[in-house]
Amino acid sequence: MSEVLEAPVPQSRRVRRRASQRATSLFSNGEPMVWLTGGALALCVVMIVGMLCLVAVQGSGTFWPRALERFERLGASAVLGEVVQRETYEPNAAAFAGRDEATALELRARAERAGNVAERWLVRTENFELTGTHYTWVSDFEVTARSQPEWALSIERREGGPFYGELVGFDVGGERVATEPGAAWALFEEHLPAVVERVEARRAIERDEIGRVNRALEEQRLAVRRAELEHGPDAAPTRAARELAAAREQALQSEFQRLRGEIEALVRQNERFGLMIESADGTETRIPLGQVVRAFPVNQLGLSGRIGVYGARTAEFLTDEPRESNTEGGVLPAIFGTVTMTLVMSLLVVPFGVLAALYLREYAKPGPLVSFVRIAVNNLAGVPSIVFGVFGLGFFCYFVGASIDQLFYSENLPSPTFGTGGVLWASLTLALLTLPVVIVPTEEALAAVPSSMREGSYACGATKWQTIRRIVLPRALPGILTGMILAIARGAGEVAPLMLVGAVKLAPELPIDGEAPFVHPSRSFMHLGFHIYDLGFQSPNSEAAKPMVYTTTLLLIGIVVLLNVVAIAVRAKLRRRFQGAQV
Amino acid sequence: MVNARPRRVRTTRRSVKIAERIAQTLISIGGIGTIVAVSLIMVFLVWVVAPLVGGATTGPEARVSFPEQPGSLRAAESLESRERPLAGECVDAQVDEYRLLAWSVYTDGTFVVRRLDRGDELVRRALVPDGDPSGTSAIGAPSAIGVDVERGALGLGFADGSVRLGTVDFTAELLSGEGAARFEALAPGARETDGARVVERSEDGVLRAQTCRVAIGEPLDTGTTSAVVLIDQLETDAGRTLATWHADDSLALYRVVERENLMTGEITRKLESGRVSFARPDGFTPCRLLVSSGGSSTYLLSRDGRAARFDTRDPSAPALAELVDLLPETDAELTTARFLLGRTTLLVGDRRGGLGAYFVVKPDGATTRDGAHLVLAHELGREDEARGGSPAVVALATSQRTRLVAVAYADGAIHVFNVTSGKDLGELRVDGDIAALALAPKDDALIAFGAHGAHGAHGAHGASVWSFDPQHSEVTFAALFRPVWYEGYGGPEHVWQSSSGTDDFEPKLGLVPLVFGTLKATFYSLLFGVPIAILAALFSSEFLAPKVRVPIKSTVEIMAGLPSVVLGFLAAVIFAPFVQDVVPAVLASFATLPLALLAGAYAWQLLPQRLAVRLSDWRRFACIVAMLPVGVALAAWLGPHVESWLFAGDVKLWLSGERGSPFGGWMLLFTPLAALAVAISGSQFVTPWLRARSFGWGRAACARADLGRFAFNVLATFALAAALSGACAALGFDARGSFVDTFVQRNALVVGFVMGFAIIPIIYTIAEDALTSVPSHLRLASLAAGATPWQTAVHVILPTAASGLFSAVMVGLGRAVGETMIVLMATGNTPVMDWNMFSGFRTLSANIATELPEAVKNSTHYRTLFLAALLLFALTFAVNTAAEIVRQRFRRRAYQL
Repeated sequence: MSEVLEAPVPQSRRVRRRASQRATSLFSNGEPMVWLTGGALALCVVMIVGMLCLVAVQGSGTFWPRALERFERLGASAVLGEVVQRETYEPNAAAFAGRDEATALELRARAERAGNVAERWLVRTENFELTGTHYTWVSDFEVTARSQPEWALSIERREGGPFYGELVGFDVGGERVATEPGAAWALFEEHLPAVVERVEARRAIERDEIGRVNRALEEQRLAVRRAELEHGPDAAPTRAARELAAAREQALQSEFQRLRGEIEALVRQNERFGLMIESADGTETRIPLGQVVRAFPVNQLGLSGRIGVYGARTAEFLTDEPRESNTEGGVLPAIFGTVTMTLVMSLLVVPFGVLAALYLREYAKPGPLVSFVRIAVNNLAGVPSIVFGVFGLGFFCYFVGASIDQLFYSENLPSPTFGTGGVLWASLTLALLTLPVVIVPTEEALAAVPSSMREGSYACGATKWQTIRRIVLPRALPGILTGMILAIARGAGEVAPLMLVGAVKLAPELPIDGEAPFVHPSRSFMHLGFHIYDLGFQSPNSEAAKPMVYTTTLLLIGIVVLLNVVAIAVRAKLRRRFQGAQV
Repeated sequence: MVNARPRRVRTTRRSVKIAERIAQTLISIGGIGTIVAVSLIMVFLVWVVAPLVGGATTGPEARVSFPEQPGSLRAAESLESRERPLAGECVDAQVDEYRLLAWSVYTDGTFVVRRLDRGDELVRRALVPDGDPSGTSAIGAPSAIGVDVERGALGLGFADGSVRLGTVDFTAELLSGEGAARFEALAPGARETDGARVVERSEDGVLRAQTCRVAIGEPLDTGTTSAVVLIDQLETDAGRTLATWHADDSLALYRVVERENLMTGEITRKLESGRVSFARPDGFTPCRLLVSSGGSSTYLLSRDGRAARFDTRDPSAPALAELVDLLPETDAELTTARFLLGRTTLLVGDRRGGLGAYFVVKPDGATTRDGAHLVLAHELGREDEARGGSPAVVALATSQRTRLVAVAYADGAIHVFNVTSGKDLGELRVDGDIAALALAPKDDALIAFGAHGAHGAHGAHGASVWSFDPQHSEVTFAALFRPVWYEGYGGPEHVWQSSSGTDDFEPKLGLVPLVFGTLKATFYSLLFGVPIAILAALFSSEFLAPKVRVPIKSTVEIMAGLPSVVLGFLAAVIFAPFVQDVVPAVLASFATLPLALLAGAYAWQLLPQRLAVRLSDWRRFACIVAMLPVGVALAAWLGPHVESWLFAGDVKLWLSGERGSPFGGWMLLFTPLAALAVAISGSQFVTPWLRARSFGWGRAACARADLGRFAFNVLATFALAAALSGACAALGFDARGSFVDTFVQRNALVVGFVMGFAIIPIIYTIAEDALTSVPSHLRLASLAAGATPWQTAVHVILPTAASGLFSAVMVGLGRAVGETMIVLMATGNTPVMDWNMFSGFRTLSANIATELPEAVKNSTHYRTLFLAALLLFALTFAVNTAAEIVRQRFRRRAYQL
């Protein structure tokens, strides 16, 4: 019987007859083929899970403080740092290079004793300004002693990356007031809060006060330019404006000087305190307290201490600005930019998407035109996102934006205000991109509302709009919400079009801030996805940036997956509710 | 008493009516508006791309006549003026970038500067005045004049064998303060002559004074007294190279080295020279001498169209490299010749109206001294008449910024061509003869100077000026999609290279390498993604318990929304370096993973039936999952062995062709093919036979026989593959150079994996939906008729859902074509064209992402990138529409069943 569906093979008629007498042949089970298909599915699942695990493990491990280990090496200076990787290898000539002959021979002998298979550790040594490298390989045959020094400090600095070394003293104004690590640490903990406070004060001055002065200066320049454009370069009002601007500028300059003085005073005060650190090769370095973001004797920390450091670093990551060309510090501007852009996008896309779906489903006369439009909208979801970016750049930035600049911001020209990428244009571009994501599920949801309910509503005398508002839309809400959430997830993860319409590497000024008019739709912004691209791909020091990229990736995947899960959950829940109500 | 009961409202309330009306209007406007906004994308892209198609735009002709007896002739103070009628022909002419002044040099050594709008002469002088105080013996008109319009350099040769070098340039200064006071009344756009300069107030109110300066240096002794017949010079930042052709049939090369004494500031000029005599063949009458860029070649052109090319890389030892006949037709006669921008491409016009562009290429096995040959790369001709039929080319002018050439014909027609694309930008006409042509420095005007004394209607002689915009002359359909012979290339090729650091760069806008890259990325990712996704969908819809299926399907669905930048990052930073280390193991895993799975299946068959049935829910899937690590471990173990067996111990060296036999490469190709062949022939011949034999066997015996067959099949596969590979290798074919070649870290294999991974969720989701929506009565009927689940899946479900699967693949293809971030980060972005799975490529989308932010708005490059976007748009739209139509048909069919 099993052979009925197979193509007839004349020669095997006899065979078929016989085979058909059996219920099922093992050979018809196709077990091997089933296993192959199963293997394909298994491969998908394993790849997905593996990728998520890789990102999760790498991303969440970035901030965990790892023990600082000190390796004494034969014929080379000692190394202090975190072990980030280990592997076995067969040492070749290069492994012994760079040492004098006797040591090289000794090392070779040691390696050969171990069967010419060595273990080596990749040690993150940092102290970039001293060594010129972030990582060092250490092989087991060259290590004479391995220890975890009690007072090995892991110091995160504001500039120049982390610093690892052993605490040897504390310095105030060039005088060493403590020479014993314990005492020095006590002094450090005593002085750090005040120093951090001064650093914060300095940052506040730089950001707010000096920013205000700079803006005022720019305003003066623009006022003169505006007068020039309005009255001509030599007219009397222009001259008056110029004089006024000059007078104000002088006042602003003196204000600026005063602020600079304040900053210098703060810096001088902070410069007095310094940690004396001996790095692994024996050089002593003074690290001013003003440079220290965080320091801790990692080998003394217990589990709770490490969790504390981990929490503090994670908090910094989520709430602080980036440092060191984005490889350290936080991603707050990127989170903020992503959220702002996505929010504006959904404010634009949801109403219009729902309107379009309502029109297509409820108002437009069904016919070939409407089904063509429907197919076209469907297909728009498959159009490459970069095409939308190209359109956004050409239409919004260069066409609409440039026209706005001509009309309202002519004093700023030739530097563009709206005529270049910005958060508004990015939101509009992504709104177009995600339009089908909203329209398609909304339409499906509208179509799924049973016509009996509509007819019932009409029978009660309700108008079309009343029916839509009271009966159809509430039922379609799950679909609309799903579409919205999926659109947000897509918008949050999309990078290619944003590269063209306004996402930048570093945008210290947020699109929304406390400065009038509070919302700055023309400002470019940072975006988590673009941050990953930039850091992982364009960073001058991609090796040092890697942990940071993993963490950002984890954050982005987390957001996108969370939104998707919420979409699925919302859909399921609302569906259940209406299924219950609908009898 | 009035009725106290409120009257029952029978009509609809006004507010409801209004709300109804508002809602209808709003929704219609909003809905239609949104749909229109979306269709705007296509319209806008087309609108930006459209200007690429059009030709140049030219303004109306402005005629200027030059008065024969200049009334307002004034000489610059340091220059001596001479009232002398013009004798001789115009050698060359040029205008300044604001089109205020024009200078012309005549063969008798007269130099004239005119106001371009009115024709007034501002300066007229002899380049070498009589009685020049510093003059030695070189008095009188120069016997040869060479002008480099681009650099404003002059070279003069004299009858006594001496040469002089000079410069001619325009200087613009902005007037302010006292200098500007005199011109207070000048309206914007108006001009006024002030001595030898012209003052203009620009539209934005700035006063600009334009002067033309000419300076001729001291005579340089060339060490010969034979008259200079032809001269050309080349100015580079290092100094000047000068070539002269003397009456005694010798070519002399000089490099003028200028040294500035740091103490005194004194400049000393030194000549380094070399000389070669050239025995002229019969009929070789030299008419042009041209030194190419860098001084590497010097061309001596004869009237009859022959060219002698001298190898002058070392100016002290010039030598004849080759003698080429540029115009092989017997009656052809060379009328004019000139270098294109960059002094590498030689443009030669002839009496029959032909214009050829020649440059040297360096083919393998060239027989010349410098290993180069002069070849004809482009032929430019008027479209109205066939080559050979149109009037003679009388003058040429080249652009100073692009590869445009303006050509004047004897009948007064002027055509402008882009040499690379061959695009004819249209025709202009003047009455009378044309003596010289000039393209304004910004390519924004075209000026035709009338021949001396014969410029038809408008005066004794004069000029015609057209404002001119070449638009996008670099782009034609052929330039975008056909191979083009670019300067310095061995032949016509597809090249994308949109920008470069140098000014005289030839933009290479061939889109084919980018389209190729896109297709290559799509091909490799579909090759990896489609089988896995479809098989996975089949398994999950037909063989997986719903308890497991739902979570797996949701997970995969979420993955469809995973940001591709994440995959790109993982591909570039993790996966590419990893694959680089374990290439042989990765290649081996293509064989070991299926083998491990199959081996698992055959082992499973050995289980007693009871147990197998009881375990065939999620536990079977767990076993399948467990086979993957086995396959991977097997691959890791096999990797080094494969490397030593097939790839001579080092796969990267083997790939770059440095060692090993071609055998390994063919094994890569033939192993899957042989597996396919064995599987098909096995199911055709062995299975029926086995089935017949197995009648009455127990399950265990069948399973053992099956295992044996499997082992035999594996051996047969490898034997067949090895035999075929051995045959190919013995015949001398080598796969290296085709689908396997030199290894690059970021390569198609990596992109295929990662982009395949990116499209799997989409294909899987749609395919799974298509498979599950096959009506269950079909499935149940098949099972009830005794078919096994596998037979049902293959013979009932798959054919029914085929169109749905097809549309899933199409949607996946659409996604792969447009994917940007993964290819941007993981391909290396080199626009090369080969099918090598170990090399990188550049796709349309990645190209847009990298180049569009830097492209100048509305430039040709910008519009070409928009064209690329439009291509992507059209391609994906077409593919998706096809998929959608197929899917709808499938849906209808599924409902009918």
